[in-house]
Amino acid sequence: MQLFNQTIWNDSESDGYEPLLSEKGLIDVEVGETDLPDDLTRDTLQLPKLSEPELARHYTRLSQMNYGIDNGPYPLGSCTMKYNPKFTEDIAALPATAVHPDRDSVSVQGTLEVYSTLQEYLGQIGGMDAVTLQPPAGAAGEFTGILIAESLHESNDESKQRNEVIVPSSAHGTNFASAAMAGYEVVELPADSDGRVDLDALSAAVGDSTAALMLTNPNTLGLFERNIEEIADIVHEAGGLLYYDGANLNALLGRARPGDMGFDIMHYNVHKTFATPHGGGGPGAGPIGVKQELKQFLPTPQVRETDDGYELFEPDQTIGKVHGAMGNWLVLLKAYAYISRLGNEGLRDTSAKAVLNANYLASQLDLEIPFRPFHHEFVASAGEQDAADFAKRMLDYGVHPPTTKWPETVPEALMTEPTEAESKKTLEQLATAFNAVSNEEFEALEQAPNRTSAQRIDQTSAARNPQLSWQHLDE
Amino acid sequence: MSFKVPNNLHYTVSHEWVERRDEVIRVGITDFAQDELGDIVFVELPEQGAAFKEGEEIGVIESIKAVSDIYAPVSGEIVTVNETVLNEPEYINDEPYQRGWMIEMVADDDLEHLLTPTEYRG
Amino acid sequence: MTNQFDQTNTEKINNCTGSPFTPHTKADVREMLDTIGSENVEELFDIPESIRFDDRLNITVASEQQVTAQLAQTLTQNSAQTEFLGRGHYSHYVPSIVDHISLRSEFLTSYTQYQPEITQGFLQALFEYQSLLVELTGLNVANCSMYDAATALGEAATLAARVRQVSGSRILVPDYLRTERRAVLENYVIGTNLTVEAFATKNGQTTPEVLDRALDDDVVMVYLENPTTEGVIEEHLDELGSLIEKQDSLFCLGSDLVALSLLQTPASVGADVVVGDASVLGLPTAYGMGLGIFACRDDYIRQVPGRLVGASEDAHGERTFTLTLQTREQHIRRERATSNICTNQAWVALRTAIHAAYLGPSGLISLAKKCHQLPEKVATVLDEIDGISAPIRDCHHFREFKASVESDAHLLADELMADGFAIHALNADVIQICVTEANERHVDDLAQSITEVLE
Repeated sequence: MQLFNQTIWNDSESDGYEPLLSEKGLIDVEVGETDLPDDLTRDTLQLPKLSEPELARHYTRLSQMNYGIDNGPYPLGSCTMKYNPKFTEDIAALPATAVHPDRDSVSVQGTLEVYSTLQEYLGQIGGMDAVTLQPPAGAAGEFTGILIAESLHESNDESKQRNEVIVPSSAHGTNFASAAMAGYEVVELPADSDGRVDLDALSAAVGDSTAALMLTNPNTLGLFERNIEEIADIVHEAGGLLYYDGANLNALLGRARPGDMGFDIMHYNVHKTFATPHGGGGPGAGPIGVKQELKQFLPTPQVRETDDGYELFEPDQTIGKVHGAMGNWLVLLKAYAYISRLGNEGLRDTSAKAVLNANYLASQLDLEIPFRPFHHEFVASAGEQDAADFAKRMLDYGVHPPTTKWPETVPEALMTEPTEAESKKTLEQLATAFNAVSNEEFEALEQAPNRTSAQRIDQTSAARNPQLSWQHLDE
Repeated sequence: MSFKVPNNLHYTVSHEWVERRDEVIRVGITDFAQDELGDIVFVELPEQGAAFKEGEEIGVIESIKAVSDIYAPVSGEIVTVNETVLNEPEYINDEPYQRGWMIEMVADDDLEHLLTPTEYRG
Repeated sequence: MTNQFDQTNTEKINNCTGSPFTPHTKADVREMLDTIGSENVEELFDIPESIRFDDRLNITVASEQQVTAQLAQTLTQNSAQTEFLGRGHYSHYVPSIVDHISLRSEFLTSYTQYQPEITQGFLQALFEYQSLLVELTGLNVANCSMYDAATALGEAATLAARVRQVSGSRILVPDYLRTERRAVLENYVIGTNLTVEAFATKNGQTTPEVLDRALDDDVVMVYLENPTTEGVIEEHLDELGSLIEKQDSLFCLGSDLVALSLLQTPASVGADVVVGDASVLGLPTAYGMGLGIFACRDDYIRQVPGRLVGASEDAHGERTFTLTLQTREQHIRRERATSNICTNQAWVALRTAIHAAYLGPSGLISLAKKCHQLPEKVATVLDEIDGISAPIRDCHHFREFKASVESDAHLLADELMADGFAIHALNADVIQICVTEANERHVDDLAQSITEVLE
């Protein structure tokens, strides 16, 4: 069994573990003389002042109190925490990547070539006819996709009438929020008893007011929606569009494509599927792929190849913009490098090993997994135990826990996605951690974690008495 | 676990309780509801003087990981808001039927159509 | 291209050449399949025949060395230009420590801090980032990032829709607002009944008279920038703030972290929300990749979009940090969330925090003072050239200024590009020049080049 002791820096001078920058050297500096009228400037600036060696130590200590993929497995379901290849960082750091967004396109042909080729690669991978790289994250991609659907309905004079977006109850929270942000009523679709879309419920839900159905496939239980073609027919016959949430695309790479299943619009999460680092919450990128008939609605500008090189252009009926410039360029560049490194065979192997790993890990667990056959992820149940406490205890075994308590279809859900990057041995360590925790008493779980740099954190008082900056820390 | 369902109160299917107090009715959420939500961290309640129809949303109650609406059990006007729970929402967890009450209303109708304790327990 | 795929990774597994980022040996795969009870991996895919993809993707595998070389080659087509470009996207020198620390795997390869006990390091860095913004804006609450300045402005508008105190539906923006930012704003308000209207500025500034005329009791939000997209320091913000407050509108101010180190604080002029770009510290110009600032008064604490880090205690009673007030967010509140944002720009915020800490208050103030002094100096140099008049405006500048040219401005920009300089040509006879410590040493060369072109 693997145990774990996360580094702790504990300073008796401070209230906490590593002191805050403000506790190390806050000073108040006067702005002093300028040729600006006094009332146009601030008087003082009160911020920490530390030397470079002190800063290096501060942040290095903080990094030691942080857990990343390079520390150990990170099987968060729906998040696809796979290994982030290092060489992509070197490419993103090349001086030629540092270009201003207002550069004349003639002088940024390299960047535009990367955009154009990545669009083409993503189009192939998703079975889509055109791609925009502008959305800076998956949720931004969803919002973009729904705006595109709206524009199509608008062009058919149906946008007023089609005011509903249908979302399965087990979908990612962003689906609901993105549809609402675009002004739609969200209609929640209950799942069938086998965990998939209930066709009768869908038929009853669609109609003249349906703008789109948003689906992820495999769904959040890891199950492939086998009836996807029928689902597509039902939605299309009602005049709606089918939207693919790309969160689970890793399960299908090179083996099945949303475009071939009847999806009209999809987003890709490059920080999941294409190995760009999650960076503690971002940046990611959420490109959108669409079918031919939706091409003219893509955000502006789009990149295309011409006889004279690459150029920017505005699609005829563009929805406008969803980012101030061209999205998260450096992230897109890393995704391009990753896809180029893998090629067709590597991409196919990725989905193979992702699915193999999930199935092997599941086979090693003593927990109930109610829904099968799953692909790249599965949802186990913590049974009588509280899934959140279960997760806390797993931390002590040197592994990151799965996503917990969601989807609610499975009681005390442990939504687990090991990804292709874990070895057989690591999967066995993970299984040992799961199984050890499942045999422990409630008390051990409630008191966990014990080997992490911080002990169990009181979320309740953090929310009842929000202290969101060092200026507002209670005395 | 068994939850307290006092016999002197009326109940709704959405887990509010209602107490008749002379001219006004007092409203809160049940012991079961507070337990389902977990540690309550925030409550949003209507302004004094606001009028609601039965079933309308009158407030929001939040725990760390869940959000729930509070509905008007009957039609009427808000006459008092319990400032205590706005500042210390933990009373809703600790004393859901006493200091954890939320609002008082002047009801337009009687309370006969609400659930009895026995019906609510069922 | 010849296939130079690393031989150690080319084990044929079910007709599938391996990915270099999967650790399995052939024997592992066999044992794993035997344990599961499957003949081969293909069996594990529950995908109907009719929609299986049997074709090959036309993407050729390449070695790390090849990909790196190929991309380095591709990027040489980004011609080496000294950029005098700004208009909302700025470049400052990024100290080396920013890369070295932010690229540490523990930071770079971690996920959102949903398990705070093992992610204290990132949480503390984000808490420190929020505190930096609180000091610079004077507002009480700052989140840990939106995507960029444009989307942050969009989020401010939807916040205005949620907290509005007036019955109307108009959002007022200045005519200097970048079209890109306005386009994003228009999309963000699509689900509300808000409409966006521009008002005219005078000499690049918002005047109380014009705003007063445009303001009405149906204005939900007013957006201003300081400095503006055109590099002008607004001089009447106090008065403008009072006018906006009188109408019960929300006052949203756009700025950036360097400017905020010198200019009057948004809170002192009555701003309710501050948006803008924080990546002016921490990132070089990256084709517009940014870090959206979002700070506001604490009255709106439950309406803030995105993530917030708060202080708390752990079971040992030590101060710790955790994501908090998560019920605002999409994973809990779904269609009633304050925003759909999930993945954000956290790692850029880490870089920004490191950069700001490296500069410290004195360093930030001197950098900002330089950004104020440089445009005037450079304008004086350019003004001496025949055929160019700079700056057009008699006002206080920050980083940039506009100049008028007698010949065609677009032609001038094209010819300068051939000499290796990038400037803005705004219309037939106006250019805009942005200067910071990053391009300062090339000013004389730029002046010489302009002189030669205009001769």
